[in-house]
Amino acid sequence: MRVHVDVEKCTGHARCWSVAPEVYELDDLGYNVTAVKDVPPGLEDLARKGALACPEQAITVEE
Amino acid sequence: MGESTRTPELDFDVYATQTMTANNAAWDEVRTTCPVAWTPHNGGHWVISGYEEVAEAFRDWEVFSSARTDPARSSITISGSRFPLLVPEELDPPAWHGYRRVLAAMLSPQAAERLRPRARYWARTCIDGMIEAGRGELVSELIFPVPAAVTLEWLGFPESDWTTFSHAFHDAAAFPHDTPEYHAAAAATVDVMRRVTEEVEARWSDDRGDGLSAIVHAEVEGERITQEMAERMTFMTIGGGVDTTSALTSAALLHLHQHPEDRARLLAEPDLWDPATEEFLRVYPPARTHARTIAHDTEFAGCPMKAGDRVLLSEISSGRDPDAFPDADRFVIDRFPNRHLAFGAGIHRCPGSHLARITFHEVMHEVLERIPDYRIVDAEVVEYPNWSMIGGWAKLPAEFTPGPRLGD
Repeated sequence: MRVHVDVEKCTGHARCWSVAPEVYELDDLGYNVTAVKDVPPGLEDLARKGALACPEQAITVEE
Repeated sequence: MGESTRTPELDFDVYATQTMTANNAAWDEVRTTCPVAWTPHNGGHWVISGYEEVAEAFRDWEVFSSARTDPARSSITISGSRFPLLVPEELDPPAWHGYRRVLAAMLSPQAAERLRPRARYWARTCIDGMIEAGRGELVSELIFPVPAAVTLEWLGFPESDWTTFSHAFHDAAAFPHDTPEYHAAAAATVDVMRRVTEEVEARWSDDRGDGLSAIVHAEVEGERITQEMAERMTFMTIGGGVDTTSALTSAALLHLHQHPEDRARLLAEPDLWDPATEEFLRVYPPARTHARTIAHDTEFAGCPMKAGDRVLLSEISSGRDPDAFPDADRFVIDRFPNRHLAFGAGIHRCPGSHLARITFHEVMHEVLERIPDYRIVDAEVVEYPNWSMIGGWAKLPAEFTPGPRLGD
């Protein structure tokens, strides 16, 4: 599984990080800097939850 | 094109309803009738109330501008409050970038987390003040003081300012603009700005390591911030910090009084706090509306909008839209996903959201930990009469089983 974060759409709500800190990483201003990431095995559910939590719908999950 | 092109037209006055329930119902009617419409009330403005439409307008800052058009009046309230320029909220890019960066760094999730112990301390202290008596007035003894203490202590204002500042912003938000209470509050915000100037000047060549110093010594696009902009950004941070979190906390404490089943679940399952907080935000958004100004002629959802037209975006209505939220009129404590717009969306999204969630959680947690059987005295509840933007309660008297103070 891979997650794609559209950093142009990210406005720093940080909900992804709040729900799934193991998957999503923030910069010092609280914006997602993950861009593209292979999700480590076992964290798939958290990655999906983090994507669903984003109010800007900036995260897509590639199963 | 003449006036008649501004259609569909609704008869909607956001000030006409004076309780939360009535204001919510008015928004439901507006949204069900037409999610984008024009109303002739309050100077004439567009009303955007559907979830998708509100989100899209919030994100399209180039058309739905937050920038000031009248130096004397705020552009992000539909009534045009007489506030100093709200920095960075009333700037659009490119000017917005540098100022937003300063505030985002000060209020990032990581920075906000460092203030959690202070939120806990002030919540504990306020409960200490009531717990032996077995009764207290939750708004004035807990709900107002905690966000004010957390924000103003962090910025570096002396304790003697906290109550005055807090009341100025609460009253400015709570009363319609044609009331004596509003005029008194507007005068009080002028006094707040005078104190801001004094404290900014005191730090100009003295970095005291507090929030005010971080603003006063900030660099914006490679140059030191001006005194005027430092004062404006401080004013904005105070206003955002002392008022909105309290409206959310009041609503949540009243909700748990009225819905014992939700209180029981939160007491039994602390993991529910994360989804429950989002649900409180969806159902009781502390900022219920924000205004924008159309920057250039456009068509939005089939409506012809003209440069200079005023627009009211409804966070409260977006959260009640059944197309976005199944069972939208029900409080579902473990609702997920819950992409509410309580903190807005797009670049002007509330930068204080992380601290707001932390402060809210610490107050709620302290209440449920120490006075879990609190009951609000319904006959003595006083609701604010103005739900156009913030809303809230002036009095929530409560009774509970007395307990011991915890002290420092």
